[in-house]
Amino acid sequence: MIELAGVSKVFGEGAAEVRALEDVDLKVASGEFVVVLGPSGSGKTTLLNLIGALDSPTDGTIVVGGTDISRASRKRLFEFRRNTVSFIFQSFNIFPGLTAAENVRFGRDASGRGEGPGVDEILASVGLAGRDDSFPHELSGGEQQRVAIARALATGNPVMLADEPTGELDFQTGVQILELLQEQAAEGKAVLVVTHNREISRIADRVVELSGGRINRDGPPANGRAELCELHW
Amino acid sequence: MRNLGLWLRWSWRDIRSRWIQVAAIALVIALGSGTYAGLGSVARWRKASADASFEVVGFHDVEVRLTAGSFVEQGTLLDVLGQLPTGVIAGGEERLRIDIQVDASTDTQSILVPGLLIGVPVAQGGPSIDRLRPTAGRGLAAGDAGRAVAVIERNFAEYYELPKAGTIGISGNRTLEYVGQVSSPEYFIVTPDDGAGYFLHANFVAVFASLETTQELAGFPALVNDLVVRVPDGEAAEPAAAVIEEAFSVWLPDVGVDVIPRDDHLVYSSIYADIDNDQQLYNLFAVLVFFGAIAAAFNLTTRLVEAQRREIGIAMALGVPPRRIAVRPLLVGLQIAVLGVVFGIGVGVALSVGMKPLLERLLPLPIWQTDFKPGLFAGAAAIGVLVPFLATVVPVWRAVRVRPIEAIKTAHLARKVRVPWRRRRPDLGNTFRRLPFRNLFRATRRTVLTAFGIAAAIAVAAGLLGMIDSFMKTLDIGDEEITAGIEDRMLVELNWVYPETAAEVASVVDSSVVGIAETSLQLPGRLSAGDTGFDVLIGITDFGTTRWLPTVVEGSAAGDRAGVLISRKAAADLSVGVGDTVTLGHPVRTGVLSFSLAQTEVEVLGIHRHPYRFALYMDDSQAEMMGLAGMVNQVSVTPAEGRTIDDVKRELFGVEAVSSVQPALVAADTLRGIFSDFVGVFRAIEFVVFLLALVIAFNSASLNLDERARDHATMFAFGVRVRTALRMAMVEGAMLGLMATALGLVAGYGIVHWFVTGVATETAPDFGLIVAISPQSLALVFLFGVAAVALAPIFTLRKMRRMDVPGTLRVME
Repeated sequence: MIELAGVSKVFGEGAAEVRALEDVDLKVASGEFVVVLGPSGSGKTTLLNLIGALDSPTDGTIVVGGTDISRASRKRLFEFRRNTVSFIFQSFNIFPGLTAAENVRFGRDASGRGEGPGVDEILASVGLAGRDDSFPHELSGGEQQRVAIARALATGNPVMLADEPTGELDFQTGVQILELLQEQAAEGKAVLVVTHNREISRIADRVVELSGGRINRDGPPANGRAELCELHW
Repeated sequence: MRNLGLWLRWSWRDIRSRWIQVAAIALVIALGSGTYAGLGSVARWRKASADASFEVVGFHDVEVRLTAGSFVEQGTLLDVLGQLPTGVIAGGEERLRIDIQVDASTDTQSILVPGLLIGVPVAQGGPSIDRLRPTAGRGLAAGDAGRAVAVIERNFAEYYELPKAGTIGISGNRTLEYVGQVSSPEYFIVTPDDGAGYFLHANFVAVFASLETTQELAGFPALVNDLVVRVPDGEAAEPAAAVIEEAFSVWLPDVGVDVIPRDDHLVYSSIYADIDNDQQLYNLFAVLVFFGAIAAAFNLTTRLVEAQRREIGIAMALGVPPRRIAVRPLLVGLQIAVLGVVFGIGVGVALSVGMKPLLERLLPLPIWQTDFKPGLFAGAAAIGVLVPFLATVVPVWRAVRVRPIEAIKTAHLARKVRVPWRRRRPDLGNTFRRLPFRNLFRATRRTVLTAFGIAAAIAVAAGLLGMIDSFMKTLDIGDEEITAGIEDRMLVELNWVYPETAAEVASVVDSSVVGIAETSLQLPGRLSAGDTGFDVLIGITDFGTTRWLPTVVEGSAAGDRAGVLISRKAAADLSVGVGDTVTLGHPVRTGVLSFSLAQTEVEVLGIHRHPYRFALYMDDSQAEMMGLAGMVNQVSVTPAEGRTIDDVKRELFGVEAVSSVQPALVAADTLRGIFSDFVGVFRAIEFVVFLLALVIAFNSASLNLDERARDHATMFAFGVRVRTALRMAMVEGAMLGLMATALGLVAGYGIVHWFVTGVATETAPDFGLIVAISPQSLALVFLFGVAAVALAPIFTLRKMRRMDVPGTLRVME
């Protein structure tokens, strides 16, 4: 589903040049739950942005869902984001002027997909049944992130990209969110989670460790895949 | 303060990062304060200009006019002045004033009008009192004494676009060479001596020649009938007038004189009387524009500072004292205020410079002083400085009262949306259609303030357009009533009253150039009821047969009942209706050449549609009341088949009994011309308010983009096209524009109504203005108010397209 080959990303030039990613090769299949791990400045968010076509690589190719987005036109990239990927952000980024249901509806409207489960159903699937009419400021942090996940689900897109999805949440809520993301991978989506929290990587199918813009390690969790209930941070 | 340099650098970076928005807010303040200073100065400009103009031409303080038909030997009037105690007067000049007919026709138009030939002393190169200032060609010189040389009044000359020098014919088949066009203080606004109206320069001309020349042309050698007097500087004219009148009663008891102090001079008094009346209107516009600008500036500055809310919260969390936290946003507010004052001076100066030619065109005084009034501006500027401060203090005060943990939440988490009607189970339509409505109403105070700012500008524009429409509509109705569908109706004024069957009348009625001819009588009168009264023109005609009786909207003109038809304006001013009794003051013929005045109680038979208050009509069966049964002094004619208006003018002007021949609409056309000059002033104000509305709309759109950067970045991350986001912003703008336009139109209609029923009744009491806003004006206001605001987001398109989406999505703000 996701294929990166020799991807590099350089910001700035001359003395101010920053090589955020250096010659990265990566493959993620449908149904995989992959955690990209690394400290601050390791290039993990840059990697996510490239896969999500929010940015373009300096070198290399990126193919997602059969579409080469490395050198695609601006119009094509917008199309790609509508139909292929959906984002979940650390700070949720749901629209304050829309209710929970309307935020989920936005996901559907953005992708243009009329078919699929109803908004109520999607909200219920993330544990927010009965909260349709709530505005973001009436929801807890965990509930807001659930809305964000529901919005991503509503797009029906096959790739889900999550940037520090538990960063602003307490442990218990974070675990619940991870559970939802695991469920999506189990249903066949390619789920990529970026985090600096090593504990989260324990439940991944694969862990890709970045440091200094390079992949240091790409494989199953070091001590074997853990269950959610075993996590602790 | 420690680290002041840091705060200054920081606030400078704030300014630089938002310089367009800061400059736009400053421009909004500038437009408001500058326009306030400009419009608020109009009365001062007019008064100072009138004072300077009358002073520079040495306008007389007292005029002594001998009664019609009276003359004395040259020097006699000055001798009377010589009997006055020393110090009462500073000087005097004798003149000769003679009624004439003038033929100023050119190759392309027939110009035949009544006028006045005024003989003035030229020994010193022209009169020293009521000096004549050349505006084209040259003025009178000492060498012109006794020569057939004259100068003509400039308003008449410019109306007919006459060459700067040429030849005119005057009564008695004589020719005068005019060597120039001059501005005379007695004719800054042209009104004949009988006070028949103002701005009558299309139908009256003052011609100035040397006293000797005038005496010879009139056949009155060494005779005079007029005296103009100046009093010493600083002395009042009324006491001197009283002394002069007393002196004439002693030294010339057998000569009838009319002693007129300058304040009673028709032109002088009307120029000053209008100033304060008109200023009410300018003040209203000035206040509206200022209010709109200030409301918008307050709103926009508040939003600019609220964007720093999170940083304020972080500072609080770090333990920085609130007063130090306030320094940075206050510095932003100060910089906006300073810029606003600097720009405002520019706007005020530009307005004062720009309005000068408009005011000159409206009233061509010799001197127009439209200097920028710093005092007036300072008042507006003080508010313009205070507002950005308040606009920064309020959000800072609110921010420091919030718990730091709340303040440092990312903005979108902290924002509360109060949309209570959304509690219903939604019908989930497309979110792209829903979001513009939500965005508009989720910050109600902000939306209302922005709408108010734009609405104030729209109100001014709508009010101005409505005033223009009201004037034009009223003039149009007047035209309809005057012509009754016969567009080439002409009015032939006779020089006296004649029996209807007289040869003089027949020479007009039976002329080969005349088609339709209807005789009538027109006399000056006064209509009153209780303590209210005003001058009227009594039109006496056969109600049964005339083509040109105005449309009666109440009551009836049928039958031979005694009574009058009065205008709606007259009825309203006198608070009377059909069947009520009013008092008509009218002349009564007592001899061949003499009249007395009488007051007669008459019934109001009907109310007519003609908008001019002074238009009063009686059936000719009542002419006996005035001792004028069977007499006429006016003939309404149309050109005969194959003849033109010019043919009629030329043919009838040569008839001895005819004093003037003009198209019936000439006075209305002159008013239209005057009004079109006035419209120039309105257009200048409209330009400012449209600019203000645009700047407010642009700035609001720009701030919206900044405040919703994260929302937009999220949308783009989900593949929503930039044009979709832009379309939503434009829909939101259109709704805001619709709200503001609706408010503005209501307020604008209120302005027009207030103007028509208030200001205009004092400024133009004889004009029954009708409230009207044309569909074209409504469309223009609507189009601008909605379209301009809707299109404002387009100016943010570039910023939207260049948004750093990943960077915006990150937690840091």
